[in-house]
Amino acid sequence: MSYSSMETNLDQQFDPNRTTSYEEEFKWLKWVPLILEVIILTWGMINLSSATAVEDKSSGLWKNQLITIAIGSIGTILIMFPHYSFLSRLAYLIYMANLGLLVAVLAVGKASLGAKRWIGFGGFSLQPSELMKVSMVIFLAKYFENKSTSNGLKIRDLIMPTIFVMIPLALILVQPDLGTAMIILLVYGSMLLFLKISPKVLVGLTILAALALPVIYNYGLKPYQRMRITTFLDPMSDPKGAGYNSIQSMIAVGSGQMLGKGWKKGTQAHLNFLPEHHTDFIFSVFSEEWGFVWCSILLLLYTLFIMSGLSVAYRSNDKFATLLAFGITSIFFWHVFVNMGMVMGMLPIVGVPLPFLSYGGSALLTAMSGVAILVNIANKKYMF
Amino acid sequence: MSFIGNEEQIRFLQDRFKFIYGILFIGVGVLLSRLFFLQMINGDQMRQYSEENRIKRVKIPAPRGMIFDREGKILIDNRPAFYVNITPQYLKESGKPKEVIGQLSKVIKMPVEDIEKKLNKVRGQASFMPVLIKDNLTRDEVAALETWKINMPGVQVEMGISRMNTDQDIGSNLYGYIGKISPNELPSLNLSIGQNSSRKYQLDDSVGKSGLEKQFEDNLRGVDGSELVEVDALGRSIQITKNKGRVLAQNQEEPSVPGKNLVLSIDRDLQLAAARGFGEKQGGLIAIDPRNGEVLAMVSRPSFNPADLSRGVDAELWAKLISDENHPLRDKAIQDHFSPGSTFKAITAIAALEEGVITKDTTFNCGGSIMLGNRKVHCWRKEGHGSVNVVSALTHSCDVFFYRVAQKLKSVDDIAKYAMHLGMGKRTGIEVGREVPGLIPTEAWKKRRFNTEWSPGETLYVAIGQSFVLTTTIQLANAYASLINGGTLYKPMIVKTVQNEDSKTIKENIPQVLDRTNLKKETVDLVTEGLWGVVNAPGGTANWMHKPGMEFAGKTGTVQVFTQKAEKIYQKCENLRFRQRHHGVFVGYAPIKNPSIVVAVYAEHACSGSHGAAPIAKEVIETYLRKYYPDVYNDKALAEARKKPGSTFKPTSGE
Repeated sequence: MSYSSMETNLDQQFDPNRTTSYEEEFKWLKWVPLILEVIILTWGMINLSSATAVEDKSSGLWKNQLITIAIGSIGTILIMFPHYSFLSRLAYLIYMANLGLLVAVLAVGKASLGAKRWIGFGGFSLQPSELMKVSMVIFLAKYFENKSTSNGLKIRDLIMPTIFVMIPLALILVQPDLGTAMIILLVYGSMLLFLKISPKVLVGLTILAALALPVIYNYGLKPYQRMRITTFLDPMSDPKGAGYNSIQSMIAVGSGQMLGKGWKKGTQAHLNFLPEHHTDFIFSVFSEEWGFVWCSILLLLYTLFIMSGLSVAYRSNDKFATLLAFGITSIFFWHVFVNMGMVMGMLPIVGVPLPFLSYGGSALLTAMSGVAILVNIANKKYMF
Repeated sequence: MSFIGNEEQIRFLQDRFKFIYGILFIGVGVLLSRLFFLQMINGDQMRQYSEENRIKRVKIPAPRGMIFDREGKILIDNRPAFYVNITPQYLKESGKPKEVIGQLSKVIKMPVEDIEKKLNKVRGQASFMPVLIKDNLTRDEVAALETWKINMPGVQVEMGISRMNTDQDIGSNLYGYIGKISPNELPSLNLSIGQNSSRKYQLDDSVGKSGLEKQFEDNLRGVDGSELVEVDALGRSIQITKNKGRVLAQNQEEPSVPGKNLVLSIDRDLQLAAARGFGEKQGGLIAIDPRNGEVLAMVSRPSFNPADLSRGVDAELWAKLISDENHPLRDKAIQDHFSPGSTFKAITAIAALEEGVITKDTTFNCGGSIMLGNRKVHCWRKEGHGSVNVVSALTHSCDVFFYRVAQKLKSVDDIAKYAMHLGMGKRTGIEVGREVPGLIPTEAWKKRRFNTEWSPGETLYVAIGQSFVLTTTIQLANAYASLINGGTLYKPMIVKTVQNEDSKTIKENIPQVLDRTNLKKETVDLVTEGLWGVVNAPGGTANWMHKPGMEFAGKTGTVQVFTQKAEKIYQKCENLRFRQRHHGVFVGYAPIKNPSIVVAVYAEHACSGSHGAAPIAKEVIETYLRKYYPDVYNDKALAEARKKPGSTFKPTSGE
């Protein structure tokens, strides 16, 4: 099959009047995810220096993040050059390896803030549950690569992948890391919807979920997790206790008003009213100091970034790559949506970092490798 | 376009993107509208919330008024002191109480167990109430705590005002101490304040608990102000002193109004002299100016240091103070009454002379005892004093003379009448709380109290200040002051003026006369001559204290703690156990002519008035004379007086 002739034909479908190759004209598009990553990350570092200014006078956290970026950059280059198909070949191995790490966390992991999520490697500590998000997507892309789904997935099609999702999910839930578990579930759901679930099954699953929710709420959740949901529904029920974080965070966001209080001048964060303000609640610091206008621009950047990821998925000619790119993009989407929703008091508080803004090595490395994979796919499209 | 894998499949997936973009835009739309709602629509309100979050109105405690002596020397002062607190609630919320305590222990060099002990002790108390961990921090400790405070949630360094007595514990019973208001006394305190909120007490306020601090609380206490400070979520203020950090909205500051200062009639030098005189001895001393009732010195030993009590009392220290059998918290000058013993003989003498049962020429023979019915009543001197008149009876403190006087008097009421006119048996009204009234027995009193008739024999004991007679040190001083000045009884005055912070006098106290008994000049002369003899005549009970050129007069008294058998009375007091030893009492005055100071000393378990109490009075009197009459009483005059011992001034009756 001649590649160039097909290419021309296809492009002419989009715009019959164009004279140049679509691909040539928009060559830079392949780099868009990376460019946006750099922009958001830079902004994020500026914001992080403000968020950590109080507790961390020696800027140790900020420097740590910088080191993570350096490592992530090397990783990005390493991931970008080989053909992404190595991920397809290694998909099951990556999945198994990550599963092994999750087991290791439970066995020898480090506890922090009441949860066991990290394993130490010399001076570094790694959060395997973060990596699992990408590993899961690679696994699912590989799993569905050769399965036809145009008629919609039936129940029997769902059994195997669901089991493979549930194993790491269970391991993550016992850590406990509700946020990551939720993201994995959302990404899995997104991929299934993308692949198309048969309408009957979809309706059935929806009813099942609706029935299961109260059961999970009453028996599946720890008291503090239940508390988060009750306080989310009515934060004022316990403004000094469980609802405190949510209220303070909303106050932080709102008090930014149109143009913000100014960099390093956010009182909510600097006076310690905000919990976890350099990790999960980083957006409340940002919005307090930058205000609505800049928040909208940040949200626009995220949207463009997600769209660029979707366009990589859309324009790939490989089903594995399409699924992979889509899955990775959906990770970003859900992170942004859940994190901002939580910070703005629309969702219960779960530990989900905001990509490129939150402090945290494993999350950042995961995000950067995700972008590297997207760019890899975008660039390798026509290599053979 | 080439497709890897199933082309139809990929085309199918590409169709799905419309749906995916739809979800994306809905999601972004939701986030954007929420952002708009919070920042643009509710922004003002949220901004206000965040302002309220960080700005806290913090009380500026008003400095308490100071207390000065009559010459303007500072007696009681406010000094800043730093201390460290732990708020158990915040400590718990920090999630790492062990680490915080460990770190604190290192910084303030206090064992972890001690800190935990202090925290455990207050279990059950509201957990947001700070617990004092260490008081009087050094500068280095304060600096270290400030550096590490971000790692130690729940730990606060606070600056408090310590109430300092310039002379530590000297005079503290008079000045009193301040302490934190306890929850039970709050309602009653605020009841008197009324609805004026700025003066209302709060739980962490301090209030005068005893002495002048309590009595003059309204004057000494200022009006607290407030300022706005930035705080973090744990309520930790960003700065500890006003000059160090940000104070927001300065114009919203309400300045505090300092309390009023008290200027006392007390002379600090005499306070020190009194403490010096007491040394290790215990008891109370009061010095009064007989011309106007001003209290010149007032101490009680042992005492306490108000600085230890002004900011939350350490439970251990408190228990020690309370259970100490030497009663350091009690003001023995006004709160202890005792039988005045021989010092009361001056009052009996006055009664006898004024009632005309004796004259200056009346003599009785003292053979060491008299018979009362078939009971033998002893004189303190076994051998007796021979023939004695009223002057020598006072000088030698002859018991038998006064027994005979008592027998001649119509009733005990005759003694009581004069004793009461001289201010005994009732509170003097000095402006310090919890004064005890003492007791002067009368026939009516006994009927009322015991429902029995007064037996004439009892009058004998009353005449020598025993039996039911109870007086306080201040009553003795005031009674002598009154008899010396011819019968004018002043209300002892302690606060001369109340001044504001600029030393402007707001209120001036003037001497108040409580009673006026017109004593005959001859009576006063005879009694004072007897009192002069006590110290200055050969054989006087305190003659060993005689010092040419530094004369003073007075009367000794020795009070048995337990009623003892006859043979035991003469046993050497020093051989008794401390608590069984006699109390020494002495009332002295100076100068002999125109006296201007009366000193009454009550020396607990000091065995005798002459050796136990008189030297203490002498120390105060000598200090007083040298200070106030430097031309007459100085080293040069002393040396000259020593050369010609005969020149001692001696008052003569009828002079």
